[in-house]
Amino acid sequence: MKIILKYILTNVKERKARTFVMLLSILLSAMLLFVSFSIGVSYESAQRKMARGMAGSATVSVQSVEGGIYADDIPALPDIQTKAGIVEGTSLYHENGYYETVDLLAADMEALNQINKPRLIGDGEVTAFSGNQIILPDRFTSKYGIEKGDTVTLQINGTPVDFEVAEIAAYDTVFLRHTRGATALLPLETIKEVLGWEDGYSEFLIEPAPNSTTGNLISELKNALDNGRYRVSEVVNEAQIAADARQKSMPFFLISFFSLTMSIFIIYSSYKVITLDRLPIIGTFRSIGATEKTVTRILLLESLFYGCTGGVIGIPVGVIVLKGILQGMGKSLSQGIEIPVVISVPGVILSFAVAVIVSLCSAWLPVRRASRLPIKDIVLGRVEEKHIPRPLIVGIGIVLFIVSALLPHFASGTMLYLAGGFSLLGLIAATILVIPVFTNIASAGLERFYGAVAGNEGRIAARNMKDNKNVTQNITLLFISISAIIAIRVVGNFVTTYISDVFHGAELQGFADGHMKPEFVEQVKEMDGAEKVLPLYVFKNNVQGNSEPVSRLEGTDNLEWYNSMFALHYTDSSMSEQAALAFASGERAVIINEDCMKRGGFSIGDTITLSNGTSGNFYVVAGSFKSRATDAEAIIPSMYAVSDFGASDYGLLAYTAADPDAIMVQIRALFGETSNWSRTVEEFNNDALATVGAFLQPMHSMTCFILLLAAVGVINNLLINYIQKRRTIAMYKSIGLSNRQNRKMTLIEGFSSGLIGAVIAIVVSYMEIQTIFLVAGPKISMTPELDIWTFLVAGTLGIIVTLLGSIVPIFKSRKMKPVEEIKFE
Amino acid sequence: MNILTEEAAIEGKNIIKDFQLGDTKTRVLKNISLKVIQGEFVSIMGQSGSGKSTLLYILGGLDVPTSGSVFMNGMDISKLDDEKMSRIRRQNIGFVFQFYNLIPNLNVAENIMLPLLLDGKKMRDYKKPLKDILEVVGLSDKQGHTPRELSGGQQQRVAIARALIGNPEILFADEPTGNLDSHTGAEIMSLLQRINKERGQTIIMVTHSPEAAKSSNRVITVSDGLLQ
Ligand SMILES: Nc1ncnc2c1ncn2[C@@H]1O[C@H](COP(=O)(O)OP(=O)(O)OP(=O)(O)O)[C@@H](O)[C@H]1O
Ligand SMILES: [Mg+2]
Repeated sequence: MKIILKYILTNVKERKARTFVMLLSILLSAMLLFVSFSIGVSYESAQRKMARGMAGSATVSVQSVEGGIYADDIPALPDIQTKAGIVEGTSLYHENGYYETVDLLAADMEALNQINKPRLIGDGEVTAFSGNQIILPDRFTSKYGIEKGDTVTLQINGTPVDFEVAEIAAYDTVFLRHTRGATALLPLETIKEVLGWEDGYSEFLIEPAPNSTTGNLISELKNALDNGRYRVSEVVNEAQIAADARQKSMPFFLISFFSLTMSIFIIYSSYKVITLDRLPIIGTFRSIGATEKTVTRILLLESLFYGCTGGVIGIPVGVIVLKGILQGMGKSLSQGIEIPVVISVPGVILSFAVAVIVSLCSAWLPVRRASRLPIKDIVLGRVEEKHIPRPLIVGIGIVLFIVSALLPHFASGTMLYLAGGFSLLGLIAATILVIPVFTNIASAGLERFYGAVAGNEGRIAARNMKDNKNVTQNITLLFISISAIIAIRVVGNFVTTYISDVFHGAELQGFADGHMKPEFVEQVKEMDGAEKVLPLYVFKNNVQGNSEPVSRLEGTDNLEWYNSMFALHYTDSSMSEQAALAFASGERAVIINEDCMKRGGFSIGDTITLSNGTSGNFYVVAGSFKSRATDAEAIIPSMYAVSDFGASDYGLLAYTAADPDAIMVQIRALFGETSNWSRTVEEFNNDALATVGAFLQPMHSMTCFILLLAAVGVINNLLINYIQKRRTIAMYKSIGLSNRQNRKMTLIEGFSSGLIGAVIAIVVSYMEIQTIFLVAGPKISMTPELDIWTFLVAGTLGIIVTLLGSIVPIFKSRKMKPVEEIKFE
Repeated sequence: MNILTEEAAIEGKNIIKDFQLGDTKTRVLKNISLKVIQGEFVSIMGQSGSGKSTLLYILGGLDVPTSGSVFMNGMDISKLDDEKMSRIRRQNIGFVFQFYNLIPNLNVAENIMLPLLLDGKKMRDYKKPLKDILEVVGLSDKQGHTPRELSGGQQQRVAIARALIGNPEILFADEPTGNLDSHTGAEIMSLLQRINKERGQTIIMVTHSPEAAKSSNRVITVSDGLLQ
C-alpha cells in the first residue's frame, strides 16, 4: 500500500503548520518530561550532597569511644576505597555584637580531595597549606567582608587566635552544613596545635569500594574492630536523606505529573482531529480494497514516526535545557553548592516511551474507530462526531469527582499516597468527563448575557459553544494547563516558604540565645518599642521523660504568648485551651512535641516523670504539638523549671517590637562581650534564603516551560479547530457573516472558552492542592496559604492565551474563500 | 410575462473568470452576459466542469469575476467590500447548496433564523415568519431537532427555509437535488416550483438533471465558458 504512504507524506508536506505544531507539542512534551524528571533527580542528589555535607562520598565513620584514633587502627579491608582522617574542633567568631560558631576541620588533604574535594573560588588548588592559615567559605567571608589575605581572629577555648585567610572556598563540599554557623578548614598540624590535640585523628571517614556497600563495610569494620573501643556508624541516614530530598523535590515531580497529563491530552486530541480529517481518505482507500488492518497499520506508522522524532529530538534538547537551567543555578551559586547534572536513564527511557506510546495510543483509538466505521458512511461523508453529553458519562464524572475529592480524607499511612495519586488523576479525569455539560450550562447563561451586551453575534457565539466538540476540547486543554500552573506555583511557593522560612506564621521578630539574668530581661522589656518579650528557661539534653531523653526542655510563664510566638500547632485544636488551663491551674503540666510523644510512647493525660538525673517529678501531659519555629521537645510552666530543675538564668528570649532591628542592636550591646547568638527573624531568613534561593530558581524556569507547553497546546488546538471549523465558517459566510462579525464571534468564543476553562481550573486546582497537602501534610507542620492572585493571574493568562490563539484563525478566515470550502466536500 | 415584472432581478455583464493554477491561467468563463427577470425560475445546465457553479457564485456574490460586473437593483455588487457584500448576502440573497451546509450544533429553528440573527434581528420578532416558512417546507414538527437527526431531504428543506427566511430577492441553488434520491429530489423540486409560483420568488438553479430543469421557466446552458 505504497500509495497510502505516499498520500500521507504529501499530506505531511502540505499541512506544514499542523505537522509542525503537532511535532512541536510531542517534542516539547518529551523534553519537559525529561527535564522535570531529571531536574527532580538532580535536585534530589544536590539535597543528598547537602545532607551528607562534610563526608562527601564517604559513608562510614569510625571513632574511638575515648580519645583519638590512628590510621593504623583501621584494618586494611579490600572494601575500603579511601579513608580520610579528620580532626574537628570548634571556635567562636565575634564581630559587632554578632557571634557565630565556626567549626574547625582539618584532614589529610590527599584523602580529603578524594572523598570531598574543596572547591576554591577561582578554581585553584589547595597548595602549601600550613601554619596559621585558614580556608573559609564564601558565605561567611562575604557576610563579614573578609578578603583573601586578611587576618581573622577566632576564639578557641576562650583564647583568641589569629589566622591568615589563605583561600576562600565555595559554600560546597566540606563547608556545606545544615546547621547555623560556618565551617573552616585548617592545616592538620595547626589544628592539633591550637586545640592541643595529640592523639592522632578525632574521626575517620571511609568511602566504600565501588563494588561494596555501606552496610557491608559497616559490618566488616564492626567485626574487625574491638566494639568496646571503637564506634562504627553510618555518616548519615540515607533513607532519611532520601525521604527529605524527595519532599523538597516534590514540585518538580508535580511538574512531571502535569506535563505528562498535558502531553497525553495534546497528542491525543491532535490525532483525533487528524484522523477525523482523514476519514474521507480512509473511506476512499477502503472502498478500493485496502483492508482495515492496512489502513490502521499505516496510520499507526505515521504516529510512530511522530513519536520517535519527537522523542529523539526532544530529549537531547532537554539535556541542553537541563544544563542551561542548572548552570544558571550554578552561576547564581558560584559561591554556593554545585548541583550535579544527573541525566537519569529512567528519565530518558520514560520520556521517550511516553512520546512513542502516547503517540501510538492516541492515534490507535481514533484510527480503530475510524477503520470500523461502515465504508458507505465515510464515503458519503455522513460521519459527524456526536458530542452530546450522555447522562451516564456525566453521572460517572460527578461520582468520580466526589470520590476523588473525598478519598484522601479517609486514607492513612501508605494508602494515603495511593489515595492521593488516585485523587489527582481522578479529579482531572472526572472534570474532563463533566466539561461538556458544564460548558452547555455555561453557554446557556452566557447566551443571555452576551445577547444583552454584545447583540446577536454574542448570542450566536455563545449558542455555538453548546454541544460543540471543538470548544470542549479547547476548554479541557486550557483547564489542564491552568490548573497545572496554579498547582505548581502554589506548591512551589509553599516549598520556598517551607525550606526558607522556618519562622513562617510565628509571631516573633527577633530572638537572643545566651545566658540572660532576669534583670537583663527587664531591661529588654523597657527598651523603646519593645512589645512582647518572652524569656524562656532552656535545658538541653539533661532531662528525661520517663527514661526517654528530651533534647530540649523549655519553661515559660506565658503559654499563650509561646503559642503565637513560635506558631505551635496543637495536634488537635481543643488541646490549646486544655494546655492553657493546665498551665494556669498551677499543677505540673507538660506539653510535648509529636516526635517526642511517639518516641516515648506518651499519650495525652498520661502522668510521666520528668527528671534530670538527680530529682524527678510527676507531670501530666496536657497536649502535643508540632512547630517548625522551635526545637523544644517539651514545655513546662517556668515555676517548675525553677523549683524542679533549678533554673536561674534564661536561655532564650523571643520578642516582637515596632523596630526589631533597633531592639537587636541594644540586645547585642547588653550582651557585650558575652557569647550569644542573637538575630532578628529577618536576618535569619536572609541567611537561610541565601542557601536555598538558588535552588528555587529552576522551579520558576520549569513553570515557564509548562506555560510554554500550555501555550503551544492551546495554539495547536485552535489551529486544528480552525481546520475543522473552516467549513462552518464558510457556511456562515455564505449566508452573510461579515469578517467583522466573524472577528467578534471568534473573540467572544475565545474569551468564553478561556473564561470557562479558567473557572473550572481554579476550582479543580484548589481541590488538587487540598489533596496534595493532605498527602504531604502529616510530614510538615504548616498549612498552605492560598494566594488568590495566583489563581486569578493563571486564569487571566489562560484567557489571554486563548484570545491570542484566536488571532490566527481570524486572519485565516478573512482570506478564506467560502466557495472553495463549500465545494470541497 | 407582465411588463411590471419585466424588471431585472439580476444582471451579469461581460463576466470573465480566470483561475490561476501555478503558472497556468485557465479562462473558465469567457465573457458571459445574462439577465434574470424578477419572478423568473432559471436553470443553468451544462457539462461537468463547464463553469456553472462558478457563474452561479459570481452572480450570488460569493465569488468575484476577473472582469465584468453583476448588477443587483442597479448596483454593481462585484466591487463591494466585505461588510456591504455580507449585508447583501443576509438581506437580498438566499443560497442553497448540494451539501445542505447547516450548522451541526444549532437546531432547525436556529439554523433557519441565522441570517436574520446575523442581521441583528430578534428571534422573538420573527415567530410568525418562522412558523410560516416551516409550514412551507413541511417541517413544522422538527424545529427543535438538530440537523443530524434529519434525513437528507429534510436537511435540504431546512437549507431552503434558511435561504428564504429573509425574503431575499433571489434564491440561488447549486444542484440542490444532487445529493438526494430521485424521489426526494422530485419533492424538493416541486417545493421550489411552488415557492416560485406562490411567492413569486426569483430562483436561479444549477442542475444536471433535465427532469429538474423542467420545473423552471427558462434553461440556460453553459458550454466551454460561454452561454449557448
Ligand atoms: N478554485 C479553483 N481553482 C482553479 N480552477 C478552478 C477552481 N474552481 C473551479 N475551477 C475550474 O473551473 C472549471 C469550472 O468549475 P465549476 O465548479 O464551475 O464547474 P461546474 O460546471 O459547476 O461542474 P460540476 O457540474 O461538476 O459541478 C473547472 O474546470 C474547474 O477545474
Ligand atoms: Mg458545480
